[in-house]
Amino acid sequence: MNDSRGALSARDAVDLPGRPLRTERGAPPPHVRSRAARARAVLAHTLGLGLAPALLALGLIGGWEAWVRLRDVQSYLLPPPSAVARALADDPMRFIDAARLSLTAALGGLLVASAIAFALAVVMAHSRQLERALYPPALMIKVTPIVAVYPLFTIWFGFGIWPKMLIAALITFFPMLVNAVVGLRSVDPSALDFMRALDASRWQIFWRLRLPSSLPFVFAALRISVPLSLIGAVVAEFLSGSSGMGQLILIANGDFDTPALFGAIVVLAVLGVSLTALVSYVERRVLFWHESSVGT
Amino acid sequence: MTAVGTPAVDVRGLSHRYASTRADEGDLLALADVDLTLGEGEFVSLVGPSGCGKTTLLRIVAGLLAASDGAVLVHGRAPAEARSDHALGLVTQDPGLLPWRSVAANVRLALDVTGRDTDIDALLALVGIERFARYHPRQLSGGMRQRVALARALAHEPRLLLLDEPFGALDELAREQMRLELLRIWEQRRISVLFVTHSIREAVLLSDRVVVMSGRPGRVVDDVRVPLPRPRVPAHEEAPEFSATAARVRAALAAGAP
Ligand SMILES: Nc1ncnc2c1ncn2[C@@H]1O[C@H](COP(=O)(O)OP(=O)(O)OP(=O)(O)O)[C@@H](O)[C@H]1O
Ligand SMILES: [Mg+2]
Repeated sequence: MNDSRGALSARDAVDLPGRPLRTERGAPPPHVRSRAARARAVLAHTLGLGLAPALLALGLIGGWEAWVRLRDVQSYLLPPPSAVARALADDPMRFIDAARLSLTAALGGLLVASAIAFALAVVMAHSRQLERALYPPALMIKVTPIVAVYPLFTIWFGFGIWPKMLIAALITFFPMLVNAVVGLRSVDPSALDFMRALDASRWQIFWRLRLPSSLPFVFAALRISVPLSLIGAVVAEFLSGSSGMGQLILIANGDFDTPALFGAIVVLAVLGVSLTALVSYVERRVLFWHESSVGT
Repeated sequence: MTAVGTPAVDVRGLSHRYASTRADEGDLLALADVDLTLGEGEFVSLVGPSGCGKTTLLRIVAGLLAASDGAVLVHGRAPAEARSDHALGLVTQDPGLLPWRSVAANVRLALDVTGRDTDIDALLALVGIERFARYHPRQLSGGMRQRVALARALAHEPRLLLLDEPFGALDELAREQMRLELLRIWEQRRISVLFVTHSIREAVLLSDRVVVMSGRPGRVVDDVRVPLPRPRVPAHEEAPEFSATAARVRAALAAGAP
């Protein structure tokens, strides 16, 4: 890596024998390196990180294609990657439309559930009594297999987006609630003392101290609940068979259209990975100050 | 307005007992019958063995903790009331900075909350960290963080400054320097200061009086007036009065040791 960084680490080690060496990716003070140098380093690092997995993926796909062709495997058992690609390319709108429906239900449910869970967490974090009262029903939502209540939802809400959103919401509600309560309570007691000594109002303490302190926990919850919401939406579509990726998979399955099945899996995987990457990106931006963003 | 002569802090017969959280433990008596007066504009140090209740006493004076027994007046009023005048500046034992705010923004926090205004750059210069205004706490050394905490406590121009071992994380050289800065700030602003420290020399050099506490439960075992003239300078450490006062404080500490 970069020279100045190496020098800094070495000097740290000499001056402060008790302290661990700064890791290669530890955040240097802003004045140590120029913005351009930092951007270059980040780019080089990202390329370096991406290179090995990319080669591995290429190798795997190539091996898969070769194996299917050489052994003459039946396409309905295992289609070659080229067939999967063709299935995706022949009718992309089929996948895009389905993905859009699933994604809307998943993210809609996730957002609504996260907002309600956070609001409830604010209440619960301020009062142990309310926490005791609200925790059991919240826990019940968590432990009830939501698949079991889905038929009820279709009776009440029909086969549109609402029951799907509801499933995605229920499945993501609890992680956000628990993390947010813990996060809102995880305030530095000295910072709290300081603000209270200034006669800060509850409101000021909430906005300036509690809310930012809770963000690392909120992002931890999001990292769990984003993929969960996708699972919830697709499972709901599976059960109702009415629309979205779940329906696409059901139909492809019925037609023995294995390339389309694989295509659906690829689309869902790409969605999951992109959403998770998006959350991580926003998290690194927002939580630049948090320990978790040093080494990850 | 408070009448002239009302002490900044007046503590009478103060005791504090922490309720135990476990059945097999008794309550913990942290402070026993403490009397303490801090005159307006006075600089008083509090020394005592670790765990004798200095932080507890400071938190009670700041109105952050309700004492189990005794009377506490700050500027002639109950601590919680006195607090609403924004008359208090607190430096806690851990700096307690907000890690997502830059140094300047951390100092601005005090202004946001109190609705007052001040020249933040000048304040940062006062504690010697003007070059680090845009840094975040994570990028600072322990000593620099404590300077930020001091600047933050001074920002809203409090009448009473409560300092809980503010120089604890500083090396001797920086500590020396910060002592002089604190003296200068105090001489300029003439605020009342209650200063907790573990250093006898520091207490004697800075203070009008040094209050010595015994081991737990904390009681006041001696209240030593420092007979050195103002303004104080480092050369005062060579004066015979200095050594005599320091010796008396040391003896009181030894007598009060558990
Ligand atoms: N929140 C609390 N609950 C129960 N006991 C406490 C609490 N805070 C402090 N104590 C106890 O009260 C006693 C006095 O604590 P305090 O922090 O006031 O001491 P201190 O003089 O500031 O010590 P130090 O010099 O080490 O900072 C200690 O024995 C401590 O264990
Ligand atoms: Mg203490």
